[in-house]
Amino acid sequence: MTASLPTDTLAACQRCDTLVNLPKLSNHQKALCPCCNTVLHSPKKHTLDKTFAISFAGLLLLIPATVMPLMGIYAAGQYNQASLFTCIVLLANEGFYFIAFCVFIFAIAVPAVRLFTAFYLTFCLKYTSKKPHLIVFFRSYHLLNNWAMIHVFFLGIIVSLYKLVDIADIAIGTGITSIILLLMCSTMLSITLDHRFIWQQLEQIND
Amino acid sequence: MTRTALSNGLGSCPRCQKINKMHSEKQQCSRCAHWFYSRKPNSLQHTMAWTVTALVLFIPANIYPMMTLHTFGKTEASTILQGIATFIQTGHYPIAFIIFMASFIIPLGKIIGLFFLVYHVKHRSNMSLKRQSHLFHIVENIGPWSMLDVFVVVVMASVVNLGFISNIEVSLGASYFALMVIATLMAAHSFDSRLLWDNNNKKEQTHE
Ligand SMILES: [Zn+2]
Ligand SMILES: [Zn+2]
Repeated sequence: MTASLPTDTLAACQRCDTLVNLPKLSNHQKALCPCCNTVLHSPKKHTLDKTFAISFAGLLLLIPATVMPLMGIYAAGQYNQASLFTCIVLLANEGFYFIAFCVFIFAIAVPAVRLFTAFYLTFCLKYTSKKPHLIVFFRSYHLLNNWAMIHVFFLGIIVSLYKLVDIADIAIGTGITSIILLLMCSTMLSITLDHRFIWQQLEQIND
Repeated sequence: MTRTALSNGLGSCPRCQKINKMHSEKQQCSRCAHWFYSRKPNSLQHTMAWTVTALVLFIPANIYPMMTLHTFGKTEASTILQGIATFIQTGHYPIAFIIFMASFIIPLGKIIGLFFLVYHVKHRSNMSLKRQSHLFHIVENIGPWSMLDVFVVVVMASVVNLGFISNIEVSLGASYFALMVIATLMAAHSFDSRLLWDNNNKKEQTHE
């Protein structure tokens, strides 16, 4: 019906709306918008395998990153340590529900949903031939990109370490290592995930 | 020659980026079933509303203390600026610089940048289009970093929780600051950068 316009090979730049007929790209090639140089599409090698592995590792790391202590403090014979989870509990106990909610959403929930979505979709595409039920998640996938703040939280930990080292004896916990690894997985995810490819796969199952 | 998807009667789905034929203003994506418009409706009004909200919230975020320190019966509350001053006094210049960037330069720069962009969509400007879109790219991506000081306070408060010896408590300023950051994120999200290019196209047509 829409023979005059092959919408499958067309792409519009999200930034400036320039309409482009995408050429067939091989790996390591990128299609840039002629108008504003935004990357329109860059096919990724083994996107399913890589995304699957990275998102699985990230999901496993979520648990130690939230539960393991980030750092501990010795002062006057007392010792206290805190994990990401105890941060949130403490804030909620003191009545700072809004801040507790923000930390939960930005540092745990959004990264978790991103990882879960990538894991679930690549799992379905790799091992089953059925259409995944939770496509809804993938729809919101790149809306979440700007709301994931583990990198900022990590810098926050470093700054507070600097601040506290002056005051008391500090012990660094295993939680920090998990957060660094989680941060790496979360960053790699945006490099390995080929949006266009996955949507095309999903569309084919649909037919 | 028509260049944009809009002028060809097409629209790209913001969620899955599929090109759809726009049968009306509002169109449901044939691939992901998301309802969308070819341009975000009332984009400029929403952007302005969120930006003004952020600017207003910036005031209580700086007046109220971010955290309160209790040590040996003494109580000391400090705002963001006082926190930065302490870092400078103790000689931690790089940290003072990072906090200053994250808490002042980034949010204020973002607010000014958004006002600037909205102004440029509405009026003619001498600024090149490349510069404008570059500005939007920066405004869109630096937002989360302004959350830094809130996270610092949160981590400090949870670690330094030693009963009567010393305690750090999160204070009201942190809530306002977090709200302000969310408002700037929403403002950048509401802004439709395609309007900058539409505006430019109109200008070119009138010149020819
Ligand atoms: Zn473009
Ligand atoms: Zn769609």
